[in-house]
Amino acid sequence: MERRLPQFFFVLSLIVLALMLAAVWQAGTPTWKTYQQEFHRLEAVGEPNAAAKSDVLNADLVIRQDLLPGLQRVDRCTTCHLGVEDPTMKSAPQPFAFHANLAPHVPARFGCTVCHGGQGLATDQQNAHGKVAFWQEPLLPKEYVRASCGRCHKEGDVPGVPELTEGRRLFETQGCRGCHKLNGVGGTIGPDLTEEGAIRRFPEWLERHFLDPNTVSRNSPMPNFHFTKEQARALTFYMLSLTSEQMGSYYSSVRLIPSAGYGRELFVEKNCIACHSIGGVGAKGGPDLLGIAKQHSPGWLDEQLVNPQTIYPGSIMPAYDLETNARKAILTFMASATAEDAQSILSARTKALTPRDAAIEAGKQSFARFGCVGCHGLELQGGVPNPNSQGGEVPSLLHASDDYTEDEVIKIIQNGKVPPVENTTRPAAPLYMPPWKSVLTDEDIHRIADYLWSLQKKKDAW
Amino acid sequence: MKRRSFLNWGTAGLVALWSAIGVSMAAVVRFLTPSVFYEPPQDFKIGTPGDFSFGPPTFLSEEKIFVFRDREKGFAVANAVCTHLGCTVGYFQSDDQFHCPCHGSVFSADGKVLHGPAPRPLEWFEVTLARDGQLRVDKDHTVPATYRLMV
Amino acid sequence: MNPIRDVWQSIFRRDPLSTDKGKSEFVFLNVWLHIHPAKVKKENLKVKHTFYLGFITFFLFLILVTTGVALMFYYRPHPPQAYQDMKDLQFVVYMGSFLRNMHRWSAHGMVICVFLHMCRVFYTGSYKRPRQFNWVIGVVLFLLTLALSFTGYLLPWDQLAFWAITVGTNIGSYAPLVGARIRELLLGGHTVGESALLRFYVLHVAVLPALVTLLTMVHFWRVRKDGGLSRPVWKLKQEKAPQLVTIGAPEATAVLTAVPASKDKTYGLMEVVTGKPIFETISVEEEEDTVFSYPFAFFREGIALLVTVATVMAVSIFWQAPLEELANPAKTPNPAKAPWYFLGLQELVSHSALLGGVVVPGLIVMALLAIPYIDPNPSRRPADRKWAIRAFTLFVVINVVLIVIGTLFRGPGWALVPPWVHIVGAE
Repeated sequence: MERRLPQFFFVLSLIVLALMLAAVWQAGTPTWKTYQQEFHRLEAVGEPNAAAKSDVLNADLVIRQDLLPGLQRVDRCTTCHLGVEDPTMKSAPQPFAFHANLAPHVPARFGCTVCHGGQGLATDQQNAHGKVAFWQEPLLPKEYVRASCGRCHKEGDVPGVPELTEGRRLFETQGCRGCHKLNGVGGTIGPDLTEEGAIRRFPEWLERHFLDPNTVSRNSPMPNFHFTKEQARALTFYMLSLTSEQMGSYYSSVRLIPSAGYGRELFVEKNCIACHSIGGVGAKGGPDLLGIAKQHSPGWLDEQLVNPQTIYPGSIMPAYDLETNARKAILTFMASATAEDAQSILSARTKALTPRDAAIEAGKQSFARFGCVGCHGLELQGGVPNPNSQGGEVPSLLHASDDYTEDEVIKIIQNGKVPPVENTTRPAAPLYMPPWKSVLTDEDIHRIADYLWSLQKKKDAW
Repeated sequence: MKRRSFLNWGTAGLVALWSAIGVSMAAVVRFLTPSVFYEPPQDFKIGTPGDFSFGPPTFLSEEKIFVFRDREKGFAVANAVCTHLGCTVGYFQSDDQFHCPCHGSVFSADGKVLHGPAPRPLEWFEVTLARDGQLRVDKDHTVPATYRLMV
Repeated sequence: MNPIRDVWQSIFRRDPLSTDKGKSEFVFLNVWLHIHPAKVKKENLKVKHTFYLGFITFFLFLILVTTGVALMFYYRPHPPQAYQDMKDLQFVVYMGSFLRNMHRWSAHGMVICVFLHMCRVFYTGSYKRPRQFNWVIGVVLFLLTLALSFTGYLLPWDQLAFWAITVGTNIGSYAPLVGARIRELLLGGHTVGESALLRFYVLHVAVLPALVTLLTMVHFWRVRKDGGLSRPVWKLKQEKAPQLVTIGAPEATAVLTAVPASKDKTYGLMEVVTGKPIFETISVEEEEDTVFSYPFAFFREGIALLVTVATVMAVSIFWQAPLEELANPAKTPNPAKAPWYFLGLQELVSHSALLGGVVVPGLIVMALLAIPYIDPNPSRRPADRKWAIRAFTLFVVINVVLIVIGTLFRGPGWALVPPWVHIVGAE
């Protein structure tokens, strides 16, 4: 050892030098540099002359990032995906291919991961696509990317994504709220879904869950709703959109896309036809609205909707409490509304509902919306298992009038009811009628009772 | 330890060590050089040519640039940051000049210092046409005041 | 007149290294090296005696300080930016992942090496008189090393970090009287959050390294004062009869003091006397077993440094330090484990929080500190210390076994699951 010490020292120094060089080499040859060089070669092909070619081939290799403080992200996807905004790269191989239909969602403003998922901070393929342990937002498969539209556009229709609207509609009408809370309203039997899109961005799992909950979540109390594939997909889209990340105002201002379709809905909801006509069809209380968008500036029209008194003092038009995009939607509708639209709106109204029928319709909507359907069934048929209660299941409501008056039913809805117990030695029945008086207004409860009684009457008519 | 053998092996070892140290010093400097910037980018797109009017320049406040569009000669982009101490200059159509509100520097329409404490003329940035048809400004590349992008 | 030579010699003022004086001055006149004596005992240089563990631990500390300072340029101790900065280090910063790996693997290495060093010191009985207090300082340094590792563990702010520190601080809160207060001081609140991260950061980069540096200085100083590293003196060739040294004033007729020449002392005690003092030095037969620090000790230490650096670099090139998902206070991983060096404690805590979290570690620390004072046996020879060695070995083995159980054999719910069984996680 004594004699060999100098040699040992030399060998060690060489090893340290070699390791240093290895570390430097490892740091200096990341895969993104290779991709960028390849892209430059592709670009150079399209350059007209040798000087331009050489400029492109010798361009700096840098990490490119989109800083998105309003979305609380940093996306570095364009380090490798260099052709997303370059139409000449339409037929280039990935990762260089052109991204059609990007505008207005350009990377500089939106990045990539808010729609596609993945890990924006990463700079190598596997990590960036998020298909690694400890990253909960992997790249979404192509067919589900449009679900991300719902992360910002949370209300109204999203053009090109009918699945979101359908999913929302299914959620409200199939009684999901009976077991699941969403934005503070709903039951507690199943998990709260307010953040489902943030914590479970696994579309295949979600879709299989909707087709048959027990295949992915063993012993789940969730019944099989026998959804069709399209319905399961629509609900999956809706689930993926349920995120509540903090977004800068630039992004949250487009919660609602101001489309003509939504504008028409608002036109009907706010009952504009009660005073206005379009192309002569409608009422005579206010001016005709045909072509109004061409006669006045958007600013003037917007002000009219915000506060009509400033434009026409003494006007009987009420000041509607509409948000910016809602007003934009109405104006978009106005730009293309014709007499035919007015006619169809009017005819929908002349199948006019009497106050009682309006109450029944409203009651039916509340019945679905607040999750009564979850226990009592879409057809009021009951049948949900409820161990140790009389009959062993949630009762049908179709014969409630046999045992109760409408007022008694209203009291039950207000105060709740614990089901009668069959066997006192066993635990109490797990499902019970909760009190609703702090959630629903008295009017709502009356309307639900009216709805229930409307179905009783039909039965008696038999 | 035989002195001579040590001098040969030892010296060689020291050479290797000092090389490793040298490499690591260079690596430290490179380590401290930022690879990404947590700032607005220097290289960005500002829109299509059709978005910009002729005549007086369009001021983009976030990017702090003036975009000139001339019918004959095309596009030019000037830095709105005063070369004196960094305030944002304003363009005045009345005298076709840039005035700095901080210390009174005045620049002509092509950036030359007319009077005031500014030491250098306003910078002009390279503007090119990107492949998607948008104008692309690169603040890392300055160009002479005569540079124009003909579209 | 050579100006370059003049400048050089104004900086390096020693004699040339070819002379003995130059060799002495190489350490004696150098602020960084003068903790070394000009000459060291040959025995102390043998690898199999100390395995250079003390040096390796110190070199790992130096690596940790340099890589740590480098990492500080890119790390913000505020959630959630802390996690983003870890990702940046991994993906964007030049050699960021390499430096982070160096830091993490050196940290684990330092904990292991300081423990092995403690074992070596115990097995060679080097804590005995007059080195008792240096052992105590060493135990404190060991605890500081664990504290440094623990505070650093939180900084990545991922699930691993967050829950390990949650578990660790909760174990600590079981200490009677002061436990809850200490936890409050550490966390700056009731739970692990921003305040905890900032406090742990300050402890990790400023307070604890300063304490370690100061105590290390004392630790090295005392080794020197105690006569250098201890060596197996019973193995030396025959001991000479102690020689007497006379210290006296020239006019005095009686000898002032006569003390036996000590093989361990490297300095003579200077006293102020009236008149002109004279000194007599003993003959230096003991010089036979010493060699100059430069080049013998110097290059061996250099090799120890190179081996340490090379090993850490090699491991850092091939093995990535872990980074799990962003810390989520609402989601506890199952199982949630403390850092590996505390897993033995967590195993004990799983049986009894008070016993495992407070009593046992408290007793262990007190016992370690007390070892030099409760050990009445003055001999350092292994044959004379069989029971001490057995007891300590048992302590080491129990620790290792507990840590192995906690690391490999505990699965979800802290259930005993052998590591070769694949556990299917609940979706």
